[in-house]
Amino acid sequence: MVNLEEIKKEAKKILEEGKVKYIIGYAKSSNILMAAPVFIKKPEDVNKLIWNPTCFQNLVKFLLDEKRKKAREKEPDTRPVGIFVKGCDSRAINVLLQEKFITREDVYIMGISCEDLGVLDEKKIFKKLKDEKPEKIEFDQGKNIVISTKEKTIKIPLKEILAERCLECTSSFPVISDVFWGDRNNRSPKEPFKSLEQIESLSQEKKWDFWQQQLSKCIRCYACRSVCPMCYCDECVVDSINLAVTADTSAEEKAQKIKWIEKSPESSENFGYHLVRAMHLAGRCIDCSECERVCPVDIPLRLLNKKLEKVAKELFDYKAGLDPEQPSLVSSFKDEDPEDFIR
Amino acid sequence: MEKILTKKSFPAWVKKLQSYTVYAPEKQENLWSYEVIQNPDKLNLEHLNTVQAPKKITFPQREVFLQFNTSKEGKPQIKEVLPKEQPTVIFGVRPCDAKAITLTDKVFGEEPKDPYYWSRRNQTTLVGLTCNTPPSDNCFCLSVGGSPHAKEGLDILMTDMDDKYHLDSLSKKGEKLIKAAENLFKPVSPKEKKELEKIHRESEKKIKREVKDIKNIPDKLKNMFNSPFWDEEAMSCIRCGICTYLCPTCYCFDITDELTSTLPLNGKRVRTWDTCQFPDFTMHSSGHNPRPDKASRLRQRILHKFQYHVENYQDYLCTGCGRCISLCPMGIDIIEILNKVRDHE
Repeated sequence: MVNLEEIKKEAKKILEEGKVKYIIGYAKSSNILMAAPVFIKKPEDVNKLIWNPTCFQNLVKFLLDEKRKKAREKEPDTRPVGIFVKGCDSRAINVLLQEKFITREDVYIMGISCEDLGVLDEKKIFKKLKDEKPEKIEFDQGKNIVISTKEKTIKIPLKEILAERCLECTSSFPVISDVFWGDRNNRSPKEPFKSLEQIESLSQEKKWDFWQQQLSKCIRCYACRSVCPMCYCDECVVDSINLAVTADTSAEEKAQKIKWIEKSPESSENFGYHLVRAMHLAGRCIDCSECERVCPVDIPLRLLNKKLEKVAKELFDYKAGLDPEQPSLVSSFKDEDPEDFIR
Repeated sequence: MEKILTKKSFPAWVKKLQSYTVYAPEKQENLWSYEVIQNPDKLNLEHLNTVQAPKKITFPQREVFLQFNTSKEGKPQIKEVLPKEQPTVIFGVRPCDAKAITLTDKVFGEEPKDPYYWSRRNQTTLVGLTCNTPPSDNCFCLSVGGSPHAKEGLDILMTDMDDKYHLDSLSKKGEKLIKAAENLFKPVSPKEKKELEKIHRESEKKIKREVKDIKNIPDKLKNMFNSPFWDEEAMSCIRCGICTYLCPTCYCFDITDELTSTLPLNGKRVRTWDTCQFPDFTMHSSGHNPRPDKASRLRQRILHKFQYHVENYQDYLCTGCGRCISLCPMGIDIIEILNKVRDHE
């Protein structure tokens, strides 16, 4: 089992040695069921760090901010940033390295294995609690969560409330790291694409109806894009800033810039946004499923990305983020690649 | 006018309101949402906080202002589109969300009055529900001048009293609703009145979260514009629109032309919600943006709610519903931010 004290000790050490600029980790938030990102600069603050199944966030997202900040600074601090990663998060670092968005020297990777667990699914907990509010939680030897509400105290085996992605995870430990805690046991879930079964069994019409209904809920808060470590475009297709404006740009040019997707949360525009995002994640999504977790209106966005992951696996035997040296899915080919989709 | 309505008779009352479009909170899978009620028998007012405030009905995310068409001769035709005048009742409105509507009323009520907002708003009757227990862990209405049984903005306030509701009709719109089924209502007995007062008193005690000495915050903020505080607080922000889109009081909007064809030029001018958290918010046509980073965007959200709005309208632009806290994917907590501002040196 991963020992939090050892983690804190290492964090303290590298901050004292000045090895890293700061460390991105997890701390408690005012929501007892969810940790919050914390940015630790001083060695004495390492006691804020926590590690448990409420550490949902994929902190790799914050490396994008760091890169942009560094680009703006005249004399940037070139030391790496320390970052805690789970198995899935580490694969996101690999994709960023593969795409040369960051370099290996930018990060000091502090890998923690999820071992045989993962992170919780808040929605599954709320279902078990039937709208009662949790007031206190405890983790009992890494096997159960003990939740106290006003009315009662219940013990739930963690396996019953783990996020879907953790149940389907095949590599629950970081695949790249500078320092590592926990075991390196591969998992072999019986059905790694089980969550797709239901939607795949539907007819084309029914699938269309399903997505019509789901995507009509979208309020275009862009939390899915904002939380995604792979969404690092300077100019997203949905933002109306995608025009390079110079002193010579005329009013006509500004007025006539192409708008690919309108701001209105109408069905056609929502489809445009979500499908563009899904396609841009083909061969890149590492299934942290943060997009689905953060969606305030519960759109099952993971299904889109998981389907593309499955297609990549079946057609090209490709899995994103396993190795920073592997060629990217969409910009490489092998002789044996299937081509029967070309008609 | 105060009345008693048994819970059994509640659907019968709603059925009498055929001339209205009736909205109420409905549980859809895991989430509560205001929806048009087709079957009043299924109505129950036991909802937790809805994800979206009733703002989505009084100030929809998208509305059409006008349509433009160009005929073959090239003569443009412009037609204003005003919302259909449809009497609407919203049941189960939490006092914080009703207060929020009074705040947007002030903004859209300034001259020139916003005809799109008001043609909808004038037709809307708000039937509130006392929060006997807080509908969210992050309720803090008491800190911002509200209460779980506040009446501001409501046409009727209902309070759940076990097998019956107490109704307090607060406006002509409210009276009209009660008159639609007068025989269903009974007068309030002195005993029931006492019971009601007790429920209201108790409801206040159940609000757990608070911002102490909030009165000092607007002045404090005036001197914090350039503070590195905002950089620190915004570190974990990911710049999504959850906090502002789900906020019952945020009212920023954008106006764009959506074309259906360029030759001939046809399309619509629409208003959509906008948010200070997005990169194109307050983007100048030069490409410059005075709020270039997430720290300045978080600062804008807090300052608008607790400094600028107080200066302009003598009220906070926050009613303590707690949505921005409960739904922030990164755990950013406006109560914690405000407490830190208050204690800032």
